[in-house]
Formats: sequence, structure tokens, C-alpha cells
Amino acid sequence: MKELTYVLIFLPFIASLTCFFKIPSQVRSFMILTTGCILIVSSLLLIPYVPFAFTPQILFGLGVHDLIRVPDFILMFAILYFGFKHRSLLVIVPAVLQIVLVVWFEIIISSGMIEGQQMFRSVTQAFYCDNLSLIMVLIISIIGSIICFQAIPYMKNHEEHLKLSTSKQPRFFFVMLFFLGVMNGLVLSNDMIVIHFFLAATTLCSFLLIGHDGNKEAIRNSVRALWMNNLGCLAFTVAMMMIYHNLGSTDVQQIIRTPPGTGLSFLALALLCFASFTKSAQFPMQSWLIGAMVAPTPVSALLHSSTMVKVGVYLVLRLAPAMHGSFLSQCIALFGAFTFLAAAGLAVGQSNGKKVLAYSTISNLGLIFACAGLNTPESITAAILLIIFHAITKALLFLCVGTIEQHIESRDIEDMRGLYSKMPLTALITVMGVVMMIMPPFGLLLGKWMAMEAAARNIFVIILAAIGSALTAMYWARWAGTLMSDPFAGKFKLEKQPVVTWAALLSLCAGAGILSIAVPWLYTGLFTPSMSLNYVPPYTLNDGVLENSYGIFAAFPLCLIAVMGFLQSILAVRGATKARICAPYLSGIQTAEHRVFMGPMNQLVKAEAGNYYLSNIFGEKKLTIWINLAAGVLLTLIVGGAL
Amino acid sequence: MTTSQGIIMILAGLASGPLLGGLIAGLDRILTARFQSRIGPPLLQPFYDVIKLFGKEKMVVNVWQAFCANAYMTAASISVVLFFLRSDLLLILFIQAVGAVFLVVGAFSSTSPYSQAGAHRELLQILCYEPLLIFVVVGIYLLTGSFKIESVYAWNQPVLLKLPFMFVVLSFVLTIKLRKSPFDLSTSHHAHQELVKGLLTDYSGSFLALTEIAHWYETVLVLGLCSLFWTTNPVGAILLVGLTYFLEIWIDNVSARLNWRWMLGYGWAMGVSLSLVNLVWLYAR
Repeated sequence: MKELTYVLIFLPFIASLTCFFKIPSQVRSFMILTTGCILIVSSLLLIPYVPFAFTPQILFGLGVHDLIRVPDFILMFAILYFGFKHRSLLVIVPAVLQIVLVVWFEIIISSGMIEGQQMFRSVTQAFYCDNLSLIMVLIISIIGSIICFQAIPYMKNHEEHLKLSTSKQPRFFFVMLFFLGVMNGLVLSNDMIVIHFFLAATTLCSFLLIGHDGNKEAIRNSVRALWMNNLGCLAFTVAMMMIYHNLGSTDVQQIIRTPPGTGLSFLALALLCFASFTKSAQFPMQSWLIGAMVAPTPVSALLHSSTMVKVGVYLVLRLAPAMHGSFLSQCIALFGAFTFLAAAGLAVGQSNGKKVLAYSTISNLGLIFACAGLNTPESITAAILLIIFHAITKALLFLCVGTIEQHIESRDIEDMRGLYSKMPLTALITVMGVVMMIMPPFGLLLGKWMAMEAAARNIFVIILAAIGSALTAMYWARWAGTLMSDPFAGKFKLEKQPVVTWAALLSLCAGAGILSIAVPWLYTGLFTPSMSLNYVPPYTLNDGVLENSYGIFAAFPLCLIAVMGFLQSILAVRGATKARICAPYLSGIQTAEHRVFMGPMNQLVKAEAGNYYLSNIFGEKKLTIWINLAAGVLLTLIVGGAL
Repeated sequence: MTTSQGIIMILAGLASGPLLGGLIAGLDRILTARFQSRIGPPLLQPFYDVIKLFGKEKMVVNVWQAFCANAYMTAASISVVLFFLRSDLLLILFIQAVGAVFLVVGAFSSTSPYSQAGAHRELLQILCYEPLLIFVVVGIYLLTGSFKIESVYAWNQPVLLKLPFMFVVLSFVLTIKLRKSPFDLSTSHHAHQELVKGLLTDYSGSFLALTEIAHWYETVLVLGLCSLFWTTNPVGAILLVGLTYFLEIWIDNVSARLNWRWMLGYGWAMGVSLSLVNLVWLYAR
């Protein structure tokens, strides 16, 4: 398992370095495919070894921390360099502060070591992997790799479209693969200092990816992402130092084993939560993720599903035992529920497909934070299920939108009207993705169901969650309907796409479906043993039905019924292809054209309908400022309440 | 519940929609007619209508209408079956929502502006009632300590006594769900509205029949939810449901249609505040 851990972390680094050199694109594609496949296999092979923990004794007895010390400073100086390059004080000031703090911290640690107070800063294990880490590794390695695969044909198209003279793909794939290694390192590390290094690395990676296209908007948005996430890193640094001051350790397992309220300051935990919120683009720091959509779509897919934003929820879930039963935890629940509602509201007001996806990500992450804050076994189960299924489904939807965008050259939902007649299979897969977002028996809804039942004792959280859930259904259903909106009943004519694209879309779609059916076994296999500290599996499983004292979810039977219902409905569609096709009702004399009718005075009238976006209620301009304000107040409550 | 009891309940649930739902629809039409000084159709008229629709030639604007009508019908019937099996209330709501969403997607698949406008209005209606239904269920949970319908039946006094405001919220939902004025925005039984069939404009023949039967299932489900407020005595339950339904018909006939802003504004303001009062009351106890 040591070897597997090294493969998962270092293979992407090595592969990315080779990508960086100018090699023929076929060789590069082959490299990416092999690396991805090895990652997928290694992550799966890791399953039987969990839980495990170890400390490598490498290179003349130097520990992991000693090895990352230099790269850590290189990273921080790189961030500082980009701050100067783009003349952004918002980057420079936190970056300088961070460097000063880390230098100070290193001095404290080494003096502590000289005095012999702590044995090697009492980090007992450098790497630690329980099922929470394992699930993250699986998500990163499998979904991340699939996204990289799809990026191969996408970037080729992308650059042809932009008519670039020199390809920027080497740098692009360098960062993409590097990102996967960094993420694996982050979730497997057990030392705050190492995690800090990887956090800084994710910040830099996302900055480079968002700014990839190099136009004005991309640069501006990437700098925004840089300063926001760097601020999060600064909060993390401060929290790390406070924790060291409190406990004399930076060992994550030791931190969460400290009973809440004894020795560990809540302020440090609150700052860690703040760092997580910036990474997960919670209000009022959402703008970096919204701005990130200027990047090529595989980047968005990677940021939204398996990397960056999942860091935040992972960290809070990891730290949840240390906050159990505290006021801080309750505040996080409220904050998360508020974000869930507010982001769903903003998504309703959007007609830009990528923005809808972005707000939906923020919204779902909010729900996951709410679950982490509720901090009961039920809600933690819900949170992890949401992480898994959100990652798959969101990756799928982003890849779909990317494919659609390259085809119709728009990402506006209005332009996707009747897409089914132009790209039937892509449209159907997108609709399937939407269905998996909001409907039982799919995993995401199972997670939402668990979340709601767990939240029901907290009146404010449940009210926010209930309204947010209805808004969510609204914007998804609207999108799915728009895709199918066409008076079309002809034969299914498959559109042309590269094999890799089809493979990526279909595997994600099938994966989400199959995993939803397999939820009961996923639960017994992955959740029941060694999920995280103090986690007691809350549900019992009988014949594929999950049940606890107050709720019952017939996961497997529902899947069976859903499959039967689906087949029966598909048969009905086959039957309907033989039916008479008629024109939509227009309340006038029909003409040969579908949307045109003969109106008064024998004038031809074109009937048109657009979607409701209710932008005077849910518009970004109307709402964002108030939402940011409210979120700011809640954040103050979180940090202030911890003082 | 033993296996044989379970099977009986499943069959009863499946039969309740087409039989009970249809009868309620017939009764509704007679009562409405009497309110309007008409005699009205025979009690079994809804059945004749549906049978006639099934005999019509199949016509579609978009083949996926067939999928959506079937999915609506399936989801609605499963939600009723789960209700009869005394399953989890939240789960039942989610499955009912699946049906509602498919009905909307089916309406979207036609480009007719009537259908499109109806679909959007239906989405707004869902947006309005979905959270209120969840509040009602949460109220039941806070009282009985469980989301399972079983526990409501195990409760030793009528839930209505402890959750009176939640019942008001539920009857608000009932008005929307039964497509009664003032909230018959997306599709209506009254010919004088600005948008009459809206959502259902381009469903025809057997597909329209399916949506009708699915609507009967939904009627049974929401009335079933009402009956949960008086479980100690079947007479009490029937009286409560009957009275509520009578009131719905009365409201339908005396009120004009409101636009969606009013619906959403009133619905949420009233729903959230009444729920909050009732939930805090339970919570503080």
C-alpha cells in the first residue's frame, strides 16, 4: 500500500513533467491515457488496505516535512511572483504575510525540537488513510482521469477554434495532471504542514488553469481566484500555528481526537472552516468559482467535481469530530443551509448554462457543509454520499455542456432549445445527468433525503433546506425541458463525436446509475468500517432498504421499480414513434412550418416562447449583494462566536 | 406488516387511484355543478372520459411526451403505494415530485407557447408547494419522532390537535395540487381563464388519459396526507377529509385566479410563518 500511495501521488507529477516538454501530441495523449488508467487501477487496488497509516523513512532519514519545506517556499514565492506580475495587492499582502508566518513557524518548530519538548513535533504518521480519504482518492483518481481523457479531444478542438500558432497544450496538461497528484497528496496527508503545502499547490494550479486562455477576462478571473484562495491559505496558516500553540502538534488525527472544548481553540477551527469555505467557493467568496467558467470546460469540470471545491468539504468533514456538539458546528450548519438556498436562488435567475452549473455546485457544497455542521452520523453519511454523487454527476454535466458548447458555440440555455433534434445522444445524456441531480432513486437525492431527515430537528436549517430543494428542482427541470423542447419525432440519428468523448460521457452516466443501484453495498462496504473518527453507521440494511429509527429509504427496491418504469416508458416512446405526428397547438391556422401560424388578416405570425428566469427576483444584480452581506454576517458569527 | 398484508396494501394502493380518485373527481364535478346551479354530469363521467380518451388515435408533438406521461403515471402510483405501505413520508414526497417534474418536462417538449407557459407556471406551483409539504412532514416528525407513517398511526391522539397550523398549510397545498382556483395557474377546469389547459395543451388521447389517472393518484395522496391528521378514528378521518375537500370546492368556485407572484408571496409568507409558529411551539415543548 505504500507503493500504491506513492504511485497515486507521484505518478501524476512525473507524467505532468513529461507533458511539459515538447513531445508529439500523440505521445502526450498516450501518456495521459496510461497515467489515468494506472491512477484508476491503483486507487481501486488501495481499497482492501484501508485503513492504514505510515511514515516513510526516505532520503537520509529526512521526514516528509523536511522534504516539502523547500517546495513549500517555492510555491509561496511563486504566488508572490504572480501577485507582482499582475500587480494585485490582494495577492501580495497575504502572500508576504504567509511567508513571514511560515518562516516564524519553522523557527518555533525547530526550537521546540532542539529543546526536545516534542518528539519530532509528535506527528506520528505522515500518511493516514481511512475510508473518507479513500473515497476522496477514488473520486480524484477516477473522475479526474476521465476528465483529463475528455480534455484531449476537447483541447484539440479548442485550439483549432482559437487558431493558436503554438499549442499551449503542454502547459495545460502539465497542470491538469499535476493537480491530480496534489489532490491525492492532500487527502492522504496527516500533517497540517504538508496539507498546507498541497493547499497552496491547488491554489496555484487553479490559478494557472483558469487563466489558461490568456485573454483579459481569463487573467482577471484567475487573479481573483488566486487572491481569494490565497487568503484561505493564510487563514489556514494562522490556524495551523494556533493549533500548534494549543496542542504542540500538527498531527490531524491528534487534533480531531482532542475532545471539543478541551485545549483546542475554536478560533483555530473557525479559521480552518473559513479556509474551507474559500476553497469551496461559499458566499461571499463565490465569485472566483463563477469567474472560473472562462476557462476551457474540462477545467471547470475538474474544479467543480473532483478537485478544488471538494478540498473544502473534505477538510470540514475531517475536522467535524473536533467540533462535535459545539456552537461553531451549529453555525456551520446554518451557514451551509443558507448557501444551499441562496445559490439555488441565483441559479434560478441564470440562463447561462455554465453559471447554472456553477451555482448548483456552490449550492450542493453548501448542503454538504450543512451536513458536516449538523455533525450526526446520519448527516455525515449524507455528506459523503453527496460528495460522491455530486462529483460524478457534475463532472458529467460539465463535460456535456463542453461538448454542446463546441457544437452550437453557445452556453446559453435558450440556445439549447430543442437540442435533442441536433445532438440527440448528448441531449439525452444531459437530461439523464439532470435527472440524476434531482430524482430518486439516484444517489444525490438519497443524500439529500438523509440530509433533510438529519436536519429536521434544526428548524432554521430545515426551512432553508426545504426551500432550497424546491428551487433546485425548478432550475434543473427547466433546463431538461428546454433541451427536449422541439416538435421532433423522427428517427434517432446519432451525432458524430470522438470516441474518447463518448466513452467519458457514457462511463460517467453509467457509473452514476450503477453506483446508485449499488448504494446499499457501497454503504456496507465503505461506510460501515472505519469511515472517520467517532462515526457510527446509523442505518441498518435489510434487502437493500436503508432504515433507522425514524426513516426508511427503499434504495434497492426503488431502483428496481425505476428501471421497470423506465423500460415501460421507453416502450411507450417506441409505440409513439408509430403515432401520428402533429404540430404544436398555436391557437390559429397551422402552416407548414412548426412555429408559424396564420393570424388575423391572413398574416403569418411566428409563435415564440422563452423561459422564465425571474431575473427581477433571482437576478445576480438584485440578489448577490444581499446574499454576500448575509453570508458575511454569518461568517462573522462563526468566527466571532468562536472567540 | 406481513408479506400478505403488504401485497394487499400494494394492490389497494394501485387500485385506489383509478377507483377512488375517479369517484372523487366525479363527486367534485357534481358538487361544482350544484354550486353553479347546474345538475352536472353523472358520477361516473370521469371514467367515461378516460375510457374514451384511451380509444382515441395516438397523436404526439414529440415522442418524449409518451415517456413523460408514463413516468408521471408511474411515479404518482408508486407514491400512493408507498403511502399505503406506510413508508417514509419524505420519500413519498420526493417520488411524487418526480411525477410532477416529468409532467412539466413533457409539456416543455412541445414548442406551443401555451404548453410552455403552462409548464413554467407549473414549475412555480411546484416551487410554492414543495417546501410547504416538507414543513408539514417535518411537523409530523417533530411530534411523533419519526418520518414513518406507521408512527402517525401509533400516535394516541389526533395529530390535528398538536399541528393545527400545519393543517392550514397542507390545505393551501391541497388547493394548488387539486388545480383549484385561485391557484389553477398552469392548467384549469374553468373555461374562462386566460390560460385554460396550459400545461396539458399538447397531451392528447391515451397520454392525456394517463395524466388524468396520475392526477387521481395525486389527489388520493394529498387527501391521504390530510387523513393523517386524524388517525385515531376512521369516522373522524373521513369527516376531516370530506370537510376539507368541500371547502376546496367552495373556494374554487368563489375565487378568481391569482398570478404566480401572489401565489409564491402568499404561499411562502403564510406557509413559513405558520409552520414556524407551529414548529417552534412543538420544539419549545
